[in-house]
Amino acid sequence: MIKMQEPEKIFETRELNVNMGPQHPATHGVLRVVLDLDGETIVRLTPYVGYLHRGIEKLGESLSYFQALPLTDRMDYVSAMSNNIGYCVAVEKLYGIEPPPRAKFIRTIVGELSRISNHLLWLATHALDIGAMTVFLYCFREREWILELFEMICGARLTVTYPRVGGVRNDISKEFIDHLVKFLAEFPSRILEYETLIDQNRIWLQRTVGIGVISAEEAINWGMTGPTLRGSGIPYDIRKFMPYDAYDQVEFEIPIGTAGDTYDRYRCRMLEMRQSVKIIIQCLEKLPAGPVMADAPKFVLPPKDKMLIITHPVNEIAYFIDEKACKGCGMCLRACPAKAITGEKKKPHKIDQALCLQCATCFVTCKFKALKIVPGGKGQTEEKLVELAAQPVSDELKQAQEALVAHFDFIKKGPKVPEGEVYVATEVPKGELGFYFVSDGTHKPYRMRVRSPSFIHAGCLERLCKGHLVADVIANIGTIDIVLGECDR
Amino acid sequence: MTFKHFIKTITFIEILKGMALTLRRMFSKAVTIQYPDERRKIAPGFRGQHALSKRGGKAKCVGCGLCATICPSQCISITREKGQVTKYQIELLRCIYCGFCVEACPYGAISLTENYEYSSYNKQDLMMTKEKLLSNWDKYMPGTKGEEYYKKFWRPMSEDFGTPPGQAMYGGKR
Repeated sequence: MIKMQEPEKIFETRELNVNMGPQHPATHGVLRVVLDLDGETIVRLTPYVGYLHRGIEKLGESLSYFQALPLTDRMDYVSAMSNNIGYCVAVEKLYGIEPPPRAKFIRTIVGELSRISNHLLWLATHALDIGAMTVFLYCFREREWILELFEMICGARLTVTYPRVGGVRNDISKEFIDHLVKFLAEFPSRILEYETLIDQNRIWLQRTVGIGVISAEEAINWGMTGPTLRGSGIPYDIRKFMPYDAYDQVEFEIPIGTAGDTYDRYRCRMLEMRQSVKIIIQCLEKLPAGPVMADAPKFVLPPKDKMLIITHPVNEIAYFIDEKACKGCGMCLRACPAKAITGEKKKPHKIDQALCLQCATCFVTCKFKALKIVPGGKGQTEEKLVELAAQPVSDELKQAQEALVAHFDFIKKGPKVPEGEVYVATEVPKGELGFYFVSDGTHKPYRMRVRSPSFIHAGCLERLCKGHLVADVIANIGTIDIVLGECDR
Repeated sequence: MTFKHFIKTITFIEILKGMALTLRRMFSKAVTIQYPDERRKIAPGFRGQHALSKRGGKAKCVGCGLCATICPSQCISITREKGQVTKYQIELLRCIYCGFCVEACPYGAISLTENYEYSSYNKQDLMMTKEKLLSNWDKYMPGTKGEEYYKKFWRPMSEDFGTPPGQAMYGGKR
């Protein structure tokens, strides 16, 4: 006989546990989201981060301040320039130096370009996730333009490493300014194009209006920053409240939303792009003439052309140890990469000219000024070298020697940093990017901590998604604009 | 629902507007390029594959090792013997193309060329030896191109700490 089950047991509902990611195309990188679903409604959502963890904070502790700069490119690879600037501003504060005005303006220009490129990529992928394919193609058309501008100034498109501690790598060219002006003239009409496609589109409105609503108070409590916070109506922008670079010399507005939903955040970013254009135009108009590197010889690389008198092969220099001055400490002996220096302790050392590479390492290491640079001494006999070394040193050569020592010191060890700690926040396209350094007075940071907006925004994903449908998870991941490279570091 | 809104809803005006834009774009010039047949113009100073520069047929590199010291990914290794640089190796797979080696070299011996097409099936091809790097110089920096490269992209120079004549300024209305 067939035993009938009770009707309640047949129709019992259970929560469904679904894994989304880490290789899901809509999770913007390698974000894994575990969803607990009741039908199609989200009951619980847990974001799992760390799939792109590369230990950037720890790596920063093992590299000098100069060397660690490329690491910041790889954090938020969508807007690498902004990350570089954030890092440089923080280290500059630690050093106690200030970049020259021209460098500040250039940084502001490239920072805002980076903001536009980030928002373009955000809009492209966000629209693609929601279902608007055309916007994706249009956004990438303009993003490509910006990347070409980046290539023009620094030779790289994505991982730029353009700003330097104390300025920028190189000055901008006339060609770059011409192209930039062309871009700025064209770009506002392109923003209108995106808006024609999706701004009033009924599918877009249905997918974004009223989705992921968060009130102003809650948004602050969750630690949101950037456009994600401004969508809720808080006009908080670090560029205005704690200006760095040239932001205190330009005028711009902070676009804010009212409802705090996905659509408002989208509007905020669209308006922000227009503000960025406005900022760049002002920066171009106010761009002052002058240096692009700070006059802080301790903390920046010395100029290369000053040492050319030594380093240019046409001068055929030779290195020679002055027997009277040499104390026989053995420093040069150990430092010489070619093992060309011989000698016993406490007796004058000697350079074997046949083995010498003329690399200047010994000259830089010698503490007793026993090493002499002899221009035109290459291939000469020992007696001739003694004779040439006895000649008085010209001022030009003296300067070159100083620059050479500073250069070698900078590269080999890096500048020594005063003890202390700093926290500097900058407004990157995604929100507040903070760098926190603890320095113990050596050449490397004792601790480098990064406060990345993506990590904090990923944390409030559950709050945004709870109670919504599964399809809205995609819209919500898009709207908080996270990049997992920055989130996991 | 107002009358205006009602008309907008039933006429699909916003969707038609978007479609009109897409249709217009169909007749404009394509922005994509057909890669192996067409190549985009590369800006000078592009940070691509490395080259060791030459002067009078000889390598400028003296083997001081500053590039190997500064390299954040430690991809450069140098061996010297009897007053000669016998081995100068760059692991392209590890290189992050930050260009710090160019900045660190006081001798102007290393440069980054415009070559970006060097993918390979085996690892050995991506180990740049001294010979390969020197031949890169002849290949990608012919004539005065190398000198110009150093003039522009070997930074910082004295002019970065001062105001050089003819500095690029915005010539638009003030």
